[in-house]
Amino acid sequence: MKKIRAFCVFASCLVVSSSLVHGAETPTITISKSDKQALAIGTISGPDGAQVARILQNDLAMSGFFTLVPAASSGFVVNGTSTASSLAGNVTDRSGKAVLSKTFNGTPRGKVHAYADEIIETLTGSKGFASSKVAFVASHTGHKEIYLADADGTNVHQLTSDGTISVGPQLSPDGARLVYTGYKSGYADVYEIDLASGSRSRIIKFPGTNTGACYSPNGHELAVILSKDGNPELYTTSAGGGFPHRLTHTPGVESSPTWSPGGDEIIYSSDDHGGPQLYRISAGGGTGRVINTGHNYNTEPNWSPDGKKIAFTVRDGGSFTIAILDLGSGNVHTVASGEGPAWGADSRHLIFADGASLILLDAQTGQKTTLVSGLGKISEPTWSR
Amino acid sequence: MKIIRLLSITALILAAFSLSACTHGKKGAGGGPGASDSDYVNGTPLPERQEGVSFTGDNTDRKKFTPVYFAFDSYSIASGEHGKIDEVAAFLKGAPNTLIVGGFTDERGTPEYNRGLGERRAQAVREALIQAGADGSKIQTVSFGAEMPADPGSGESAWAKNRRAEFGVVR
Repeated sequence: MKKIRAFCVFASCLVVSSSLVHGAETPTITISKSDKQALAIGTISGPDGAQVARILQNDLAMSGFFTLVPAASSGFVVNGTSTASSLAGNVTDRSGKAVLSKTFNGTPRGKVHAYADEIIETLTGSKGFASSKVAFVASHTGHKEIYLADADGTNVHQLTSDGTISVGPQLSPDGARLVYTGYKSGYADVYEIDLASGSRSRIIKFPGTNTGACYSPNGHELAVILSKDGNPELYTTSAGGGFPHRLTHTPGVESSPTWSPGGDEIIYSSDDHGGPQLYRISAGGGTGRVINTGHNYNTEPNWSPDGKKIAFTVRDGGSFTIAILDLGSGNVHTVASGEGPAWGADSRHLIFADGASLILLDAQTGQKTTLVSGLGKISEPTWSR
Repeated sequence: MKIIRLLSITALILAAFSLSACTHGKKGAGGGPGASDSDYVNGTPLPERQEGVSFTGDNTDRKKFTPVYFAFDSYSIASGEHGKIDEVAAFLKGAPNTLIVGGFTDERGTPEYNRGLGERRAQAVREALIQAGADGSKIQTVSFGAEMPADPGSGESAWAKNRRAEFGVVR
């Protein structure tokens, strides 16, 4: 029933099918929810109209919310007028009434992504990810360097060129900044890049290894793993790396902190009891409580923006698998082979690394798309929201 | 694991753990039920870094001493490895040099966990050096995780060479 393509106008459409067999007592009524809306790209005028239409179609299809159909059969029609720096968008419903009318400014691709996100939010109520940024580590230069790209896998560019080891990138939720672990000094330090200006600062350089930095949802704090006190432990600091506050006191290895959407809790991995397990702790301190996943090796947790799910990497045998923990029920299921999952703004899509590919996964349908390849081994992807 | 939820015996477990927690450097040592509820501080805080000096720098000799090797996913120092540590501790006691211990893993973990595990190995070696009489204020650590493998191959013979802590003697 999931696959039913009902050309309905609203997200929730009821498909009522009754099996009326001769002499049947009660008709069987199946109520199903079609999760895709029919949408058509209408007329996009302007010198780059054809390209705008292509980007828009890709963004809308990638969102998972729409079935792109010919205009004649559609409920909604997406139109636009594009100029060098702006895109006037107009979406009409079946009756021809405008449901969205707004002008978007930005780069040739940026204005289209902004329009796509506005369409998604208007028609589905869900936040889109077309305007977001992804970053990851790739190895093709012979060194691990950090790369940045649009969420559709285009606009790939190399952020670091130190020729040492640059790893563990984490984008700020708003996509304006990126922190990573860099070995430029010969030690493992946390660096921050302001993506608009390109300016870079070494913000955490305590003795030992400083790594795993991750922005809090409001961008004002970092969770980070520091070893300055004689063991890798979880700390929070201010966004600039100051005022470290120690949260854990274990003999084991803490790694990969991820914040709850409200910023009041942190989930991280710790091998305090054998193989690395997921733990949950108040961001203010206290005791880390283990989360039972049924797997022996659990690392790289990433908390969904809606707060309901944790994606993480499990190792079963010699290979890595992406798993999702539903925090409400405690259920865990594996979804794909790969490592380093990161949720998108819609809490529906994940990106992760699988060998030389950066993969986009629709966790609802299981559909996979390769976003980036050809840069050597890819690892540790991160996604702005 | 379930046992940590039993509040009635938590106090007992904590008491037992606080006694066993004094063992050092062993993965899971003292890690009985309830260990995550305990306050375990076994590391010796690191000294400030020396400016202009690093593990990968030209002024650091990484070949002077043999690396300490580790079992898979472990930071426990095997009994057979202690001789290497004693040798380095004896050297440090009689020389003005400082030391940077570099921790490494094989390629089989995820990257951030490997960086933590490598650091834990370096810290375990540093702690053992201190136990053997070396001055902790002269010993720095750094982890490279699975980067810079001693053997770039795959398979147990390469992995065994890569799960290591190297001694970087600052000249």
